[in-house]
Amino acid sequence: MERSAVLTMRRAVLLLLLLFGAPWGSAGSQSVVLVVRTDSPVTDLDSVTVRKLFLGLPVLINGRPLHPIRNRADALLDQIFLQEIVAMSQTAYDRQTLTGLNRQGWLRPSEVDSGDAALGKVLADANAVTFVWQRDLAAHNEQVRVIRVLWSD
Amino acid sequence: MRVSRLLFVLAVLLAHAARGDPLQHEFLLLPSAVVVGTYDRQSPETQIYDQVVQADALLTLQKGPFKLFGEYLLSDHEGDLERFQLGWQMSSDTVVWIGRYHQPTSVWNHDHHHGQYLQTSITRPWIDEWEDLRGALPQHFTGVLIESAHEVFGNWRLRTAAGGGVAPKLTNDGMEAFDLVHPDSTRRMGYQARASLHPDEFDETGFGILVAADALAADGLTIPGGVGLDHVDLQLYGAFGAYAGESWKLTGTVYHAEAQLHYPQAASRGDSFWVGYVEAEQRFARDFTGFARYEQSAGVADSPYLRLFEQFARTRYVGGVRWDFLEHEALTLQLTNSHMLNGHFSDVRLQWSAALF
Repeated sequence: MERSAVLTMRRAVLLLLLLFGAPWGSAGSQSVVLVVRTDSPVTDLDSVTVRKLFLGLPVLINGRPLHPIRNRADALLDQIFLQEIVAMSQTAYDRQTLTGLNRQGWLRPSEVDSGDAALGKVLADANAVTFVWQRDLAAHNEQVRVIRVLWSD
Repeated sequence: MRVSRLLFVLAVLLAHAARGDPLQHEFLLLPSAVVVGTYDRQSPETQIYDQVVQADALLTLQKGPFKLFGEYLLSDHEGDLERFQLGWQMSSDTVVWIGRYHQPTSVWNHDHHHGQYLQTSITRPWIDEWEDLRGALPQHFTGVLIESAHEVFGNWRLRTAAGGGVAPKLTNDGMEAFDLVHPDSTRRMGYQARASLHPDEFDETGFGILVAADALAADGLTIPGGVGLDHVDLQLYGAFGAYAGESWKLTGTVYHAEAQLHYPQAASRGDSFWVGYVEAEQRFARDFTGFARYEQSAGVADSPYLRLFEQFARTRYVGGVRWDFLEHEALTLQLTNSHMLNGHFSDVRLQWSAALF
């Protein structure tokens, strides 16, 4: 009941941000994409695996764990992360990741505050996975690979 | 070589095997402070600290599929390396640990561990109390723990945990877990397993069973009547369930214990008892959460094993409210009425707890 209200509020905030908050709101469609380095062993990640990854659960490819990078470049991206990727409120997300750390020593996803920083981490680590605005990829098209589209307006 | 040093050496060797992977770390501090007042004291045993200030520190170092995980609890009454484990993440769903771990058949402890902030009530069920707080079941073992999860029946998940290792020993001061820093050799082994089914990957709702066979050496222990004790074979069977809704949470566990007390003269005596609890929690507006827990037992009055733990609560009523007044900080007020093997008392507690990371 409470969680439903929170999610409804989040959808409303997301809509308002889209309509009024984002300066690029009227500049055409936009997307959030999941990306890895070009030579990453990752070929595909379904939505459940993406959720596991960003909740801090171990996700291994070829015996090596993937390293999730949470991109907190702007408020809209945060809303999309909470609503579309992990499907919970920030409070519930904090509790989930703390519980995972307490129970099994799971690492929380590292956080960066810009798309460039997120892409920088991906370029430095073949097992890193992050999400960015598609428009942020313009300067990195040859170096990163899009795994899937997570959200588009 | 001390187990803690052995784990450090192994960690360094395994880190070499994971070269190319970045070294990652995570640190979490869970501080808390509680004040306790007792009243209606009709029991000779009410050994409750009237205030406790503590900090539970968790540290994970991970390189590739290998990780070193530790939990150190420091309070104004004790300082102890509670967990110290070297882990190998075999797959996305299976991890193998060696070191000192919390045994998996205590559902409460395996879920909450020592951090006060991550549990709603201030106290844990008495049957799951830690050894150094006069707990009646062994909780800390040093050996191997394997935790796993598998998809079954469509989207359902089967979560399992199995462990085996050096067990705590019985002393005149209660049970004493194996100390990684000051190891001794007068101990026996214990084995535990737990399995539970959950509707999906992320759901806390589920139900399961547990079983344990632990041998507890007695070290200089003299039981009431002046008789010495050699060791106790303790077998545990149980079932548990949880429902985690959007505003409600219900959890419950029932244990059946069979204890065989062995005396130096080769005589032995057996007994068995039941212990269980059910807890309900409901979240309210403005970040308030109410909780109530009922703990009950059967066959405990004449149990020679539980006579080793005079503070054992055969019945207990717990109720209270938690207020998450700031992000990652909470205040909790709890009332408790405990009926021991030889009397009863009540207490009121107020706790501040937090998570710093």
